[in-house]
Amino acid sequence: MWELDNRKQIISKGLSRFRGWIQAAAALLTNIHLPNFFKGGIYQGKAKAVCVPGLNCYSCPAASGACPIGSFQAVVGSSKFSFSYYITGFLILFGVLLGRFICGFLCPFGWLQDLLHKIPGKKLSTERLKPLTYLKYAVLFFTVIALPALVVNDVGMGDPFFCKYLCPQGVLEGAIPLSAVNPGIRSALGHLFTGKLMILIGVVVLSLLFYRPFCKWICPLGAFYALMNKVSLLGIKVDEHRCISCGACRRVCQMDVDVTSSPNHTECIRCGKCINACPTDAVSFCYGFASDSNRNGEKK
Amino acid sequence: MTMFLLILVLAFGLTACGKAKNNRETASGQTSESGTLLSAEPGDAKEAADLYQKLMQKEEEIQSANATLWEKLFLTIDKDQVVSGDNNNYGDFLLKAIEAAKDQFTTDELKILNDGAGQIREIEEKLMALEEKYPDCVKIPGEGESAAAGSAESSQEKFPDFQGKDLDGKDVNSNELFSGNTVTVVNFWFTTCKPCVGELADLDALNQELAQKGGAVVGINAFTLDGNEGAIAEAKEILSKKGAAYQNLWFDSDSDAGRFTAGLYAFPTTYVVDQNGNIVGQPIVGAVTSPEQTKALHALIEQALANGKS
Repeated sequence: MWELDNRKQIISKGLSRFRGWIQAAAALLTNIHLPNFFKGGIYQGKAKAVCVPGLNCYSCPAASGACPIGSFQAVVGSSKFSFSYYITGFLILFGVLLGRFICGFLCPFGWLQDLLHKIPGKKLSTERLKPLTYLKYAVLFFTVIALPALVVNDVGMGDPFFCKYLCPQGVLEGAIPLSAVNPGIRSALGHLFTGKLMILIGVVVLSLLFYRPFCKWICPLGAFYALMNKVSLLGIKVDEHRCISCGACRRVCQMDVDVTSSPNHTECIRCGKCINACPTDAVSFCYGFASDSNRNGEKK
Repeated sequence: MTMFLLILVLAFGLTACGKAKNNRETASGQTSESGTLLSAEPGDAKEAADLYQKLMQKEEEIQSANATLWEKLFLTIDKDQVVSGDNNNYGDFLLKAIEAAKDQFTTDELKILNDGAGQIREIEEKLMALEEKYPDCVKIPGEGESAAAGSAESSQEKFPDFQGKDLDGKDVNSNELFSGNTVTVVNFWFTTCKPCVGELADLDALNQELAQKGGAVVGINAFTLDGNEGAIAEAKEILSKKGAAYQNLWFDSDSDAGRFTAGLYAFPTTYVVDQNGNIVGQPIVGAVTSPEQTKALHALIEQALANGKS
């Protein structure tokens, strides 16, 4: 038993320590067609029918797969369907397997915000801004699910509201690199681009001050995985017998989660900072159904 | 094409930076390179324009390599004298200025200045010769803001050939199609693309407008390639709902035109093709309904009509 616990600790701590590298590798793998940045086209092969786990624009020249949020809106917005079972399947699969671990380890836009936050300067806590975390559920419900399906033209087509009006990742990965090398795209840029560029700049500036403002407040994909965190196979376990209630985990958490009271909190992105902060090695990742007994801990 | 030019200019800019450092020590290092540029004989107007740009850049390079020295020279030039010069070769003008102010420079400095001015003189001669032979080469080729700026010389790309059918099953051959119209506006779209569907009515209006000039709009729905029956039925339904009566075509996806279509990643994309089957300028990416895009499209149409007459 002790040996097993030790192994779990080593894996948990290792994962969290190498998080930056895993994020870099994930960003590269989901954007593997790098030469396209210079050619000015996008990869359109078979793999584009598959969703990547993170928020990664389909129109990024290098993108290996499709953004689940973009694909969902595209299907919902088409006149034939009003709900996308295929994409929802992907989302539930990713959610059950990993939950918000995806936000912490695999999402390129999360990584970007992590990197920006490393730039030295004034840092502000988001603890008092907690109500804003509910905004992302509204973004998910309205701009991804409801509006694309309900606001339609005479032939039953809707707009991908989130992609069209909000998504800063689309500007960063899609619009900017494509328009840089393609004059046709460049001349098609208009108010929509300007608006989203402002959002992108806003997110970049806020990321310097706050930790992951986009993930906390706006991201509809993060909102979905947040809900899935409750049922995800990947969880965090706090060993009550080892915990000395020192509060080190709570203080180190940049997502404002107290892991001891709610290890599978919606806001937990599984970054593992608490695992490394714990002086008694009471916190670790756990995987599988075995953690069910631990989940009961949340009810306290 | 434009992208290639852009990269060329970029690469040139980079090498220029590298050059500038070296040339501070040896002004003679440039002679061979500008020599190849000077002896180059362009085959057509496009190459001439290219060469013109390179030579212009070379001139700038010569002066930026020893910027402070040239600045010092410019300060010595008496503004009144400038008018009196009857020779309009800039190199001659510089040589005169150096001669007039020679006691303000060291021998080494004079050598650099004289070398540079001599090269500029040769470049200027070449430029004048080019201008005489190809009056259009002075224009900077096709990377302007509006898509229409990529004018005649930058694109003689033929629209890929195809042997296809329209949505009613009538055979359509690309050569006959293009040569039969004074101008053909080719709109690529697909059925579930909202901006594409949004402009169908406008394209129909454009088709009627062009009909008076002997031109036409044709649509190519990417879903209908290979004669996919379900997709054709859906496309026809949307077209009739939108009141678009102009011809819509499909062809095999493994034809040249099919591969061309597969390479498109932005929809709608609209090409303008002249009577000779050549694509005019850059395609319009995105709906043609915004005022700027409408303007750009009409500029392309005018150019296609002009191409047809010549």
